[in-house]
Amino acid sequence: MDWLRLVASQGAEAGWLSESFSYAFMVNALVAALLVGPLLGGLGTLVIAKRLAFFSEAVGHAALTGIAIGVLLGEPPENPIIGLFCFCMLFALLLHFVRNRTAVPYDTLVGVFLAVALAGGAALLMYVARKINIHMLENVLFGSILTITDFDLLVLAISCTLIVVGLMFTFNRILLASISPDIAKVRGHNTHFYDYLFVMMITLVTIAAVKIVGAVLVGALLLIPGATARLMTKSMGSFVLLSSALATLSCLIGTLLPMELKLPIPSGASIILVAATFFLIATMYRIILQRR
Amino acid sequence: MGPSISLQSVSLRYENNCILENISLTLDAGKCHVIMGPNGGGKTSLLRSMLGLTPFKGGINIHWSENPGKVGYVPQKATFEPSLPLTVLDFILLNQSRSPLFFNFNKKHKTKALLQLARVGMADRAMLRMGQLSGGEQQRVLFAQALLDTPDLLILDEPTNGMDDQGVRYFESLIVELVKENKTIIIVHHDISAVRRLEATVHVVNGELLESGDASEVLKAHKIEQLFNHYRATSCLNSTQIHPHNNEVA
Repeated sequence: MDWLRLVASQGAEAGWLSESFSYAFMVNALVAALLVGPLLGGLGTLVIAKRLAFFSEAVGHAALTGIAIGVLLGEPPENPIIGLFCFCMLFALLLHFVRNRTAVPYDTLVGVFLAVALAGGAALLMYVARKINIHMLENVLFGSILTITDFDLLVLAISCTLIVVGLMFTFNRILLASISPDIAKVRGHNTHFYDYLFVMMITLVTIAAVKIVGAVLVGALLLIPGATARLMTKSMGSFVLLSSALATLSCLIGTLLPMELKLPIPSGASIILVAATFFLIATMYRIILQRR
Repeated sequence: MGPSISLQSVSLRYENNCILENISLTLDAGKCHVIMGPNGGGKTSLLRSMLGLTPFKGGINIHWSENPGKVGYVPQKATFEPSLPLTVLDFILLNQSRSPLFFNFNKKHKTKALLQLARVGMADRAMLRMGQLSGGEQQRVLFAQALLDTPDLLILDEPTNGMDDQGVRYFESLIVELVKENKTIIIVHHDISAVRRLEATVHVVNGELLESGDASEVLKAHKIEQLFNHYRATSCLNSTQIHPHNNEVA
């Protein structure tokens, strides 16, 4: 990574790049954005196809409890990755397990789980507040480009590689299992396996994106680029590609813009606002197109 | 050559509701079998049991002549969200290939998918969204999907639902063609005159097996009213509770 930071710094000094690129944390943040953007956009299309928007939001919000547990168990407050990973994974898998074994409507079930996770997180944060400065948690909840380290980038790169390789082999089957589970079963696909695999991918990408987008807002970035791409595309292939491109652009612009304009806003909020702007433009385009 | 299927004392119950009771039946290989009966008579449940999609009590054995072959299935209904940009071609490719839809540049895959769609008269609609199609058109695409792997056993649950006359005739000619190729075909069907045209073996089910035989025998005018009466012949009073794992599809 040092060579990249050096190149960026030299580029900034020579005037080819903006001054922001001379900061190492900025280069780290942009690399993180390039890694996580396409993945969030691509997975987002499956979230939409499977109608799991509320689920991905819930996993993001469950991060609050995961962070509190991690800090209470002695993890560093700026990076409680083990608590976050374990709790979010357990939350997502348990939710899916209960869904498969009860007749309770899925949105109701997600609502119950989300409320329990948030309540647990709120209760635990009272104890966490005694140990650390509670404002440090804002970085994890809403994203902060200042905190991305080389280790984070390594974790991100491994997570992204695992998910991309997994998606290349399973995308069609995950989609078929959600559109027509009976046909998928008759074709010999284990639909439960693909469901759980997808849930694990969503959880992993949520955790991977925490530093840059923030745990609370990552669900929105899974959703908004996909929702925008759905308005603009006519086939599944272009849907995935456009959603990935929009999510990556949102991550890059959302990371750069506050720095360039010297705006004191968290990267997560900025990224989501950029993504939402794309969505508004796409919606207006559709409305104008329908009127013609 | 398609398989023969034997059902031994197949029973099915959802909570306290008895769906099927003690059905024993052999479906001969390489023939067209039509399952008929009144609404709620358990036809779809019987198909789903054969496919291993529903837990049941009893035994269902599929006897393949050599190695187990491919199975094609057309469900009674598939719901496609109109706003999801899943085209007809996408849906076929999804079933046909493992190459992800966003990374599938293989022209052979697309040509094969279009050929299958042409078989059911849907090639010119390949780029329309699944959710934009009429019910009959969706059924045609689902039928194309079922034919993808040139299956030896085809299980079709009301495949002509919503189809226009032209589509139904086209479907019937395809079924005749497939029977000539010795495929085993099992269809749930409601249209008596269409079933007569198919020259199939008819099995009338209403909770239990009421009658089985050639269409010309079973579908005689004086029998029809009695066979298709929406009255449950069996009450399953003496049946035992079915456990989800107490089943067997071999």
